[in-house]
Amino acid sequence: MSSFDLDGRRIPIEPGDTLAAAAFRSGVRTFTRSIKSHRRRGLYCLTGDCANCLVTVDGVPGERACVTPAHDGMRIRRETGWPSVERDVLSVTDHLHWAMPVGFYYKVFARPRWLWPLAERVIRRATGTGRLPVRGAPAGRARARSARCDVLVIGGGVAGLAAAATAAAARSRVIVVDEGEPGHALPPGGARTIAASLEAEARAAGAEMLTHHTAIGIYEGASVPLVGPDGLVEVEAGRVIVATGALEAHGVFPGNDLPGIWLSRGAVRLATEHGIAPCARAIVLDDGTGDGAAEALRGVGVDVIEVRGTIVSANGGRRLTGVTVDTPEGRRSFACDGLVLSLGLSPRDTLVRMAADDPVTVAGDAATPGCSIEDAVEDGRRAGRGEPVVAREPDPWPGLGSGGFVCPCEDVGVDELEAAWREGWTNSEIVKRYTTATMGPCQGALCSRHLAAFAAAKGAPSAAGGRTTARPPVRAPRLADLVGGVHEVIDRRTALHGRHVAAGARMDRSGVWLRPGTYGDVAAEIRAVRERVGIMDVSTLGRFEVRGPDARALLDEVLTLDVGRVAPGRTRYLLALDEAGYVMDDGLLAALEDGGYLLTTTSGGADRMETWLRDRVDRRGYRAHVLPRTGELGAINVAGPHARELLGALSDDDLSRDAIPYPGHATITVAGVPCRAVSVGFVGELSFELHHPRSRSGDLWDALLEAGRAWDVLPHGLDALDVLRLEKGHIFLGQDTLPDDHPGKLGLGWAVAMDKPAFVGRASLERMVALPLERRLVGLRFDGSPQRGAPLAVDGRIVGRVTSCTVSAALEEGIGLGWIRAVDGAFPPVLASGDLRATVGPTPFYDPEGVRLRA
Amino acid sequence: MSLLVPCPTCGERSYTEFTFGGELRPLDAPDPEAEFARVYLRGNVAGVQTERWFHALGCRRWTTVRRDTVANRIEGGV
Repeated sequence: MSSFDLDGRRIPIEPGDTLAAAAFRSGVRTFTRSIKSHRRRGLYCLTGDCANCLVTVDGVPGERACVTPAHDGMRIRRETGWPSVERDVLSVTDHLHWAMPVGFYYKVFARPRWLWPLAERVIRRATGTGRLPVRGAPAGRARARSARCDVLVIGGGVAGLAAAATAAAARSRVIVVDEGEPGHALPPGGARTIAASLEAEARAAGAEMLTHHTAIGIYEGASVPLVGPDGLVEVEAGRVIVATGALEAHGVFPGNDLPGIWLSRGAVRLATEHGIAPCARAIVLDDGTGDGAAEALRGVGVDVIEVRGTIVSANGGRRLTGVTVDTPEGRRSFACDGLVLSLGLSPRDTLVRMAADDPVTVAGDAATPGCSIEDAVEDGRRAGRGEPVVAREPDPWPGLGSGGFVCPCEDVGVDELEAAWREGWTNSEIVKRYTTATMGPCQGALCSRHLAAFAAAKGAPSAAGGRTTARPPVRAPRLADLVGGVHEVIDRRTALHGRHVAAGARMDRSGVWLRPGTYGDVAAEIRAVRERVGIMDVSTLGRFEVRGPDARALLDEVLTLDVGRVAPGRTRYLLALDEAGYVMDDGLLAALEDGGYLLTTTSGGADRMETWLRDRVDRRGYRAHVLPRTGELGAINVAGPHARELLGALSDDDLSRDAIPYPGHATITVAGVPCRAVSVGFVGELSFELHHPRSRSGDLWDALLEAGRAWDVLPHGLDALDVLRLEKGHIFLGQDTLPDDHPGKLGLGWAVAMDKPAFVGRASLERMVALPLERRLVGLRFDGSPQRGAPLAVDGRIVGRVTSCTVSAALEEGIGLGWIRAVDGAFPPVLASGDLRATVGPTPFYDPEGVRLRA
Repeated sequence: MSLLVPCPTCGERSYTEFTFGGELRPLDAPDPEAEFARVYLRGNVAGVQTERWFHALGCRRWTTVRRDTVANRIEGGV
């Protein structure tokens, strides 16, 4: 016989068993301990609505035992209670109720502040449900897929299936989603027969059935995420029909959470579906609806007493032993081990309530709880045709008793709601936040209407009937499902990625790119560039070709330099401003021999530059093409006093200053690879950026390393680059700049052609430069080892911050960049940075005349 | 989620393929006051506004559409 393991105990399985049914048959009565008071909780709804039976199934916490089919070999763990759910020493907290008033944390841990972090660790262990496997292997990532349909039907009951059949027959693409199998939640008999024929009709008309999938929310659109055994399905639906049925009203009276108290459908389900007697002697509260609970229970041998009236209290310790009821004949007490509640129905409407502005129709029990099967079919047909469905008023709501748990998930009782109200939290939304009622695993399924009714009875002004806002997820999804829907940013790698990794480089994330930080010895990498020759993979730079009759006009509008003054074969530093006159990006502009232009931008700014250029092309109607070449071109920077000799060893072309001027460029062939060599100055040595087809990057890199042995060439990464450019006083946009830096603040006024009549940001810049400069970026020399991010102070007043710094080996002193504010209208020449003295000085620090660049 | 943006090249595509470019604002202004308004002030309309979308994960072209910001519905292209 098949069986599963429950906390080390073998539980036999009979055909059709859920975990809950099998465990109950084997005598298990306590399924969980409550979150705060550690009270025993047993089976209650059996419809998957309450949180009383959450267990860990094969390592996955928070699964509902009552709707999870039992399979041979499963390992089930009850999640709450210490050391076990049956013997929970923390149940002592139930007797300390007086010491834990509503708002306990806010009141008790407000002071002293240091107490909370300690207390939190203890409390977190004592409360909660389930345990995240934080130390084990990551849970992984569920697959995610998208689906589109015209009509999404949530709930495969009678109304849902009728809607699906009708909509599909009208040639709509229909998806039906159900937590189990279609019709599974219906009582055996006529309803199931009707559901089966509707299901066949829907399938024949082409409706798709997604069984064992759960809709966890309705988002704008409507977009509905479903979690299922194979992961996440994101459904984009033209319209949504919610036919999720109704659930039975939760009874609130003292002792209402004792194991042995059932919602009527739960008890009936156990009896009729599984042939299990929920108890020996049951009090069935007869509400006059004649839902057949008494008869069903008698069928499995339960001694049933039908009683009319209002429950005063349920009595018992570990489980129910008796009930006191106010009957028409007066107050009476009964000894019993079962109490079956039939207090009316409530629409299962959490999904509907979060979809106020979306195309959602509600049908069947979810619209009119307790409607007949015929009405449910009619509702469904109407909804399927896209017609409105008129809902009847729900049943009158059973009032709150003198005590008991309103929100069993969070252990919130009637007295706590009363206390919160007395303390001034006088509407349902803030009572919810203060007491955490409705915020447990069942997401207010049991208590949301009680809370609304409580607030209404107190006379609270209410929108939406005092119901608190419903938010996804309606059911607890697994973390793996949630990350399954996340659109991940893909790491971009250059063509040389494998070579960097093989060379032992530490790869750093730089925007979307992975780039070498260092190959091991930053100082040696710097020395190679300063004294011999070094190479760096700069394939991440943004590159664009701009061509066409209006190319120059486009660039003149977007860039601050005078594009007309850049002769073919020459290169200029470029700045692009946004409309507020703030620096957006920088790079180089190369005028090509054929009248086109090549732009290089920062690695992180490429995307924005492209959208910026294309926006102007689109709106001004420029006849210009913007051709992104970032992904297509690799680039290697060869820098150092021996750079030209290294290239000369691999090229027959003229590499002289006349052929490749500074700043300028030329096409040359290096190691058989066609390159555009751009003479650049970022690192302050003679250097050439070799832009080449990406497919040849490996060949070029290998050839440079091989030929470069004669000069002890070294590849270098971002760490070395950071120092090399800093010695030249060159800024890194983003690191040395703030979002509201105009060129004047950065000392880049020279890069702006104010004599140009118009460019983006000009008007704003004009206005800003007319004002006294209140902050600027300056070069700093330190009498020690500076710290990046350190404040800069004058007379103890902080007026700036170090944005980049290093102890330069070449200069043998601490240098940096930082911004400082004007003090009394003047910029202080000397500042304190911690214990160091920072002196404002001119940049570049290294080779100020640029002799080495022009070598 | 299922906001569809009409792209002149690619047809109606999910908004997740686009970069939002904000309200359509004039490129130029006749005087400094208008220039200030053009650069710094936004209509922030609760209703139909004309706005720019860039089809970043598609043809990489800009388009201008009219969208109801309350209902989050695209009313059409411009």
